[in-house]
Amino acid sequence: MLDLDMSPYAAFVWPAWGLSALVLGAVVARAVLSARRWKTELRRLEEDSERRPQATQGALGQQR
Amino acid sequence: MFGLANPERFMRFTAPLPPVLWGVSAVLLAVGTWLSFAAPGDYQQGDTVRIMFVHVPAATLGLAAYAALGVSSFFALVFRHSLADAAARAAALPGAAFTALALVTGGLWGQPMWGTWWVWDARLTSVLVLFLFYLGYMALRSSIDDEQKAGRAAAVLGLVGLINLPIVKFSVDWWNTLHQPASLLRAGGTSLDPVFLAPLLTMMAAYGALFGAVWLTTIRAEIVRRRVQTLRARLALEA
Repeated sequence: MLDLDMSPYAAFVWPAWGLSALVLGAVVARAVLSARRWKTELRRLEEDSERRPQATQGALGQQR
Repeated sequence: MFGLANPERFMRFTAPLPPVLWGVSAVLLAVGTWLSFAAPGDYQQGDTVRIMFVHVPAATLGLAAYAALGVSSFFALVFRHSLADAAARAAALPGAAFTALALVTGGLWGQPMWGTWWVWDARLTSVLVLFLFYLGYMALRSSIDDEQKAGRAAAVLGLVGLINLPIVKFSVDWWNTLHQPASLLRAGGTSLDPVFLAPLLTMMAAYGALFGAVWLTTIRAEIVRRRVQTLRARLALEA
């Protein structure tokens, strides 16, 4: 059974857990969004490069 | 092992790992949180013992992430591996976040138990120094435009900061500190009751898996970012 009555220390326990959840959430969100952003940008550049094949042959070769 | 230093091979090899680590960390966090609030209050600390279940994992991962940063910096500096440089860079922000959490949650535990948010004892001060090393590493990287020079300068700082890790770990043994001595990793085994050990170890595993997922995802994003820059430069040359 869960014990959620933190009195008389609720003012210390909940902020510690809340802040941990907030910071970990922010770290995860930053990592995931950054990964998604660069993947999207790479895909966009790949599409651009298809119009100019000889210009980007080397870079495209690296990512496969 | 060294074959993985090739970014292409690294991307291929690590592709399935982040989703697995995200899943493992989510499950462990859920179980760890449930165990943390199902455990009874400590006979001395009362419910503040539950702060330990987020404080200790954060402190442990703050140290572990810096070890990852320092070792990666060594390989980046000595072998000039771009992947090692990316790994060092990717460990900095989550490591700083874990260390900041350790400092703040430690204060939230210290106020009701010690009667103070902060004391300049060896453990607390050395963890603050660790946090400053993280900040210095990130500031140095972003202050130099040339990425290679920035990486090398930051790697030197990263290596210097490794000296602080044993100081943090053994500060409670080498000096008289208000911070209690080690109760988990110590000679003679843990002094923790199993009722507190289970949630603590589960939360530590959860934080570890979460760091692994964030680290790998960020390294992979960094590799893609560098490819984007290479591609942009080539396209600009051809334009």
